[in-house]
Amino acid sequence: MPSHSRPDDLPAQLSRAIEACGGQLATGKTKRWEVFAKSSLTRETELIDGRLRRTVQIEESGIGVRIWDGARAGFAAISGLDGSAARSAVAAARAGAAPGPDPLPPHRLLGLTAIPPGPRMPPRGWAQHVTGELAIALASMSNGRLRLGRAVVQEGHYAWRLCTVDDWSAQHHRTVASMLVEVLVSERPGIWREWVHIADPESFAAEAVAARIGNRVLLTRHRIATDQGLHDLILHPEVSSQLLAAISPLFLACPDDRDPLPRLLGPDGLLSAYALTLVDDRSDPTAPVVSPCDGEGLPARRILLLEEGAPRHRIASFADARRFDETPRGGAVRLSYRDRPSSGPANLRVLTDDGMAAGELLSASERALYLLRPLAPVAADLRNDTYSLIASGVWLDRQRVRGWHPVVELSGSLGTLLRRIDAVGTDLCWFQTAQGFVGASSLLVRRQPVVG
Amino acid sequence: MAAGSEVASCRVDGGAARWRFPSRWAIHAATGVSSFAVAGLVSRYADRLELPPSPPPAVELNPPLGWVDWAREIAERTADNNTVIRFLARRAVVIRRDGWRQVTSPPLVRLESRNMGSTALLAVWGHPRLGDWIRALSEPLPTRGWGPSPGLQTPVIFTDGTAGALLHELVGHLVEGDLIANGRSPLAGLGGANLTEAAIDLTDDPGRTDLPGAFDCDDEGISAKAVTLMRGGRLCGLLCDRETAEVCGVAPGRGRRADWRHPPVPRLSNLVIPAGSAAPGAMEADLSHGIVVTRLSGATVDPVSSRTVLRVERGFEIRNGRRRRPLAPLELTGGVTEILAAIDPAVGDDPSPDWRLGWCVKDGLPLPTGSEAPTLMVRRLEVL
Repeated sequence: MPSHSRPDDLPAQLSRAIEACGGQLATGKTKRWEVFAKSSLTRETELIDGRLRRTVQIEESGIGVRIWDGARAGFAAISGLDGSAARSAVAAARAGAAPGPDPLPPHRLLGLTAIPPGPRMPPRGWAQHVTGELAIALASMSNGRLRLGRAVVQEGHYAWRLCTVDDWSAQHHRTVASMLVEVLVSERPGIWREWVHIADPESFAAEAVAARIGNRVLLTRHRIATDQGLHDLILHPEVSSQLLAAISPLFLACPDDRDPLPRLLGPDGLLSAYALTLVDDRSDPTAPVVSPCDGEGLPARRILLLEEGAPRHRIASFADARRFDETPRGGAVRLSYRDRPSSGPANLRVLTDDGMAAGELLSASERALYLLRPLAPVAADLRNDTYSLIASGVWLDRQRVRGWHPVVELSGSLGTLLRRIDAVGTDLCWFQTAQGFVGASSLLVRRQPVVG
Repeated sequence: MAAGSEVASCRVDGGAARWRFPSRWAIHAATGVSSFAVAGLVSRYADRLELPPSPPPAVELNPPLGWVDWAREIAERTADNNTVIRFLARRAVVIRRDGWRQVTSPPLVRLESRNMGSTALLAVWGHPRLGDWIRALSEPLPTRGWGPSPGLQTPVIFTDGTAGALLHELVGHLVEGDLIANGRSPLAGLGGANLTEAAIDLTDDPGRTDLPGAFDCDDEGISAKAVTLMRGGRLCGLLCDRETAEVCGVAPGRGRRADWRHPPVPRLSNLVIPAGSAAPGAMEADLSHGIVVTRLSGATVDPVSSRTVLRVERGFEIRNGRRRRPLAPLELTGGVTEILAAIDPAVGDDPSPDWRLGWCVKDGLPLPTGSEAPTLMVRRLEVL
């Protein structure tokens, strides 16, 4: 059983697992193979009203094997790093192999990008310490109106190693941290939930996180007001993240006859207004997924997806790039040993270099609906150019809050919505979505139909 | 074989030991289920702890023979390059001082496709109606549907099992012990109250092995028993794990784990509403104007405002008692207790399983759940 009490042992454990797989693979007809071994340690601390309620420590390790025997390709994943796990993984990959082309990238495409070293695992007790600080900061910034009810702090360390039949190998290790908080608002039932990505535990700023959460929660204390018609919209980064997640399939490589992107383009060939530039970047050290290469060994790089509204490149694994005639740029995502590498964004994000400060954005419209939080994933029908966004928001008149709109729906042409994005904010935050991690900022959208 | 079809296998095992201290719980989870791995987990907090002597029972997790051929045939039939078909099998053992308990749940099949909208299928492998459901899943959405005006307050009939998904959100989740114990549920404190005018009996039944949420023993080692949540429209039961059962003063039995890495939390299993006496056709015929819902693609309850949003994928306008235009996808909303109070007393005689929303997500963790419900009518819901 792997032990995480000495993380220094991890590289050796992973190497032994890969060697065991390599030995098994050398005995059969396998022409090309790739073995991915990963081990992780996660500490989860749950506190309710400041009291430690539960600690969970998870140690997980496993192997994923991809093979190609000249005519058939297979993939299998199995937990564990010992010899029997290696034998079972190789046997299952061979047993499940199906006729198909070689899915593995050629050796000449493999490589690594230099990544700055990540933060260290926080010491024990850090979770209680930062939660206490956050509770004080929340109460202080809200004059006691907000109370931190429940907090779940996750700290983790992982290490992985990827090796191919050509003796190419890569390895990486990193510490990650995040926090789920539930905030209670006085004078109103219900709870407010927020997930916070912590890029560096050592520089966690409780006041800044409290302000980020509290400023939004306090807006829901206003009396209820509803309205409809054509209005300017300001999307909070969490709402923006759901919108970007909904359109992320547009940036995946696909066959021309199934590509919905051309139908969404305006007459000028733009998908969105100039204000929006999107990238997928796993070399960004502040993002949740950081890696020197993609899920199958192509060097990590910033993939430009949308440049000032104009579509640029598509995300593709090596196999999809070959199928759909794209240049392989390292777009395979593999979050766990359990997952086969597949086309997908690692860290889809908005570039905010030319953005406006959030306060400036809020004052850029005389009258606007400020969408605070999504109530459901954005439903986008990319083929028929429609969307539906359900959210909770507040009406702003000359930057003053007129009232809280608990459930509001926006729907209409997705292309029109994207082309009316007038400005992006500089308040980039990371969120977990059904399509992976999305780094989003506030968006100002001009004149959209609000349907009450 | 469908072009580009791929087969992947994934086998994951692990164990977790949970320790209770006077004011907190500690859990250690690690890959592996060998006796060495289990001993390693146990030794974290106990120097000498004798495990009960019974060995863990042998388990079979491999898909049945012919599974891959069946999946390929379905993929060909759907003529869709983006179809993913999964065979999901799970076995667990709970070890407590008083012995070993094997947790058995039925193997499931999940079918999803990027080209089928947000709807997926989750059903018990081998269910006699699986073929019908796969055909229904593959049917294209109506190209031009009718969209009622936003803000319209209209009667809505939930048929083809969709009432199960409705009550899953309105009652099932909101009687889970953790939400009740923390006062976060709008139903907290309403035990014994009449929630609906309709004399609905609502049961959470893990013994229904034809539905995806079935198990014979929960993940804390407690034998599965049906829990009546509503009797005659009156709230009378809660769903608790061992921890919240003590707080709520009810029996445990719904401690479920998303997987070995996560602690058990109160989760529902299969919501079942028995048949009433009303003919669904007559319920529609009595309606001068309204909506009938035949497929939901999602439902949520907002914890801040206690309002629910139901995403309707398919349905029809009803005018003068007859189905007219097909609906364009739309959303319906209302407050939780208001919707429950507006359920019509007429209960359909057509209980039907819902195969569309079986993968229930709570706190980001998915678990299979099921439901079977007859046609129900809510007298007033708001179109978003």
